Amino acid sequence: MKKWKKVIGVLVLMFMMALVAACGGNPSGQGQKEGQKDGGQAQQSQKVRIAMVVASTVDDMAWSQSMYEGLKAVQKKMGEDKVEIAVSERLGDAVNAGAAIRQYASQGYDIVIAHGAQYQSVLREIAADFPKTTFAYGTGFQTAPNIFAYDPQAQEGAYLLGMLAGYMTKTGIIGVVGPVEAGDAIKYNYGFEQGVKAVNPKAQVRIAYTGSFGDIVGAGELAKVHMDAGADILTGSSQQSVGAIKAVAERGKYWLSTDMDQSSLAPDTVLAAQAYNWEKVVTKMIELRKQGVLGGEHLTLSFSDGTLELKFNSKLADKIPQEAKNAVEKVKQQIASGELKIELPKEQGQKQQQK
Amino acid sequence: MGDAVISQGLLVGIMATGIRLATPFLLAAIGEMFVQRSGVFNLGVEGIMLLGAFMAFFVTLQTGNYYLGILVSLAVGALLGALMGVVSITFKAEQGISGIGLYMIGWGLSGLLFRLYLGFITTIEGLRPLKIPILGDIPYIGAILFQHNWLVYLAYILVPVSWIVLYKTPWGLKVRAVGTTPEAADTLGISVDSIRYQCLILGGMLAGLAGAFLTVGQANMFADNITAGRGFIAVALVYFGRWSPLGILAGSLLFSIASSFQLWVQVLGIKVPYEMAVILPYVITIIALAVSFGRVWAPAALGKPYERGTRG
Repeated sequence: MKKWKKVIGVLVLMFMMALVAACGGNPSGQGQKEGQKDGGQAQQSQKVRIAMVVASTVDDMAWSQSMYEGLKAVQKKMGEDKVEIAVSERLGDAVNAGAAIRQYASQGYDIVIAHGAQYQSVLREIAADFPKTTFAYGTGFQTAPNIFAYDPQAQEGAYLLGMLAGYMTKTGIIGVVGPVEAGDAIKYNYGFEQGVKAVNPKAQVRIAYTGSFGDIVGAGELAKVHMDAGADILTGSSQQSVGAIKAVAERGKYWLSTDMDQSSLAPDTVLAAQAYNWEKVVTKMIELRKQGVLGGEHLTLSFSDGTLELKFNSKLADKIPQEAKNAVEKVKQQIASGELKIELPKEQGQKQQQK
Repeated sequence: MGDAVISQGLLVGIMATGIRLATPFLLAAIGEMFVQRSGVFNLGVEGIMLLGAFMAFFVTLQTGNYYLGILVSLAVGALLGALMGVVSITFKAEQGISGIGLYMIGWGLSGLLFRLYLGFITTIEGLRPLKIPILGDIPYIGAILFQHNWLVYLAYILVPVSWIVLYKTPWGLKVRAVGTTPEAADTLGISVDSIRYQCLILGGMLAGLAGAFLTVGQANMFADNITAGRGFIAVALVYFGRWSPLGILAGSLLFSIASSFQLWVQVLGIKVPYEMAVILPYVITIIALAVSFGRVWAPAALGKPYERGTRG
């Protein structure tokens, strides 16, 4: 009596685990099936097989989705039969992510993208075991013979968005909903603040952090506190920002996006966006690989080569004074031509140069 | 920053935000309190919250009726609570592990359903703040306490209600009995399993409601893993609150007001490293737990499956 109950208990548990594996695993990766068809070695065809590991999901309206859409765009351009994509989501911690990365490499994927700075060390370990596979990660700058590091110059677009905020603010208070004070967010916030100060030295830029990348509710609450304290234009990076955008939209204030154009989420709220053009970055990696370069390059995303883009929300175009638009456009050209270099915090700048 | 508006509004801002932030913790922790009082340890609160959050959001989005959304989240919570009962009471599986399993089910399933039936992040109008007449107009107090949406009020009303239920009703007596001396309760003709099932279902409903609050009462959207650990904090608050409604209220408020305080500190540019600010609520809660005197009491049968006739 007691025994069979334990057995059934274990069975129920196993069923639960199986269900979880089915749910949490790979709902969007059409690549997995195709991969098995090829028997794991796709060298005979000209097909490029790309796998990606992300911490959140490919519909997060931010960092992960921007890369996923970039991959999709590459696939569309080169042809479905030429590019195969596989994605593993929700792999925030490096250990689980490492297992997925290793598995993709051993299944013969040509390019394995670990889309986050947190994967740097685990990627280095694995890459050494698969010298013929190309690995890529970002944001970062440390490379290896078969590792590309990609590195958005987030401060560039941030500077332009900061200028916009400086022109547009009425209260003179601008709120930044930051995730964690690290890498990309520091660059973005630093650039943003300089942009504001360049056109509106009196404006206050208030930077606060939630301490998380994915706490949507927390980001919304932080945005509300910013607005309670007087901010009328807000910005912020990472996938949690969607929560802040919603809070901003509810109070009729403005938001400036980064990572991707988030205006579809709040058409009357998102003034403009800095968007990453991953399509170009991935295409470059594919081309380099064709030439026999498996890694070793530090690929920066910037306005100079069109891998960074500034997108205005056409619906709110008439809300932005022409003067502001002209000024932003002019500075954008200066950044693209290299005439204007946006400063980075000291520590970050030094790292950049060490490369 | 020295302007009067901010300094006057500061306290009100901190308190009002804190009151709102405490809501999901209160709902989920009071539900979990009943579960643990009956002797079951349900670590799956986070998973129930996630699925409740998704269902409330999805149904509200489809029907435009958030009452319906909230009802469905209650039903889903009840169902998951019952599932936990099947595993932990009927089949006597290890409760800590089945709780983690439940969490993973909620996490996986909410993400899968989101992918299958929505596929993109979208928003709803959500619950509007309900200013209580007269009380809402009291200076300061009104803005702090009486200008929230009705789920916030419900969570706070639940504190005295659950206290009465637990200590002043026959059912509450049974819950406490099966949580401390299940053998004795059994001898008196109380069905241990039945009471535990009832508590798990109630706890599940409140966890589902806590999830619903996040999506229809706070963020007005759903995204993957929207609970971000709040369910686990709720379980910790049950320990902090020493399995009593008032203790849970104190813990939830302490944690939430500290959270709100640190947000305001950051926003007003008071120079502290942000890491210090972010961990402040946790540190304060741990310190309060460490220095609060009195014996640490836990339901004696907590976490132990009851098998008739194994002891005594």
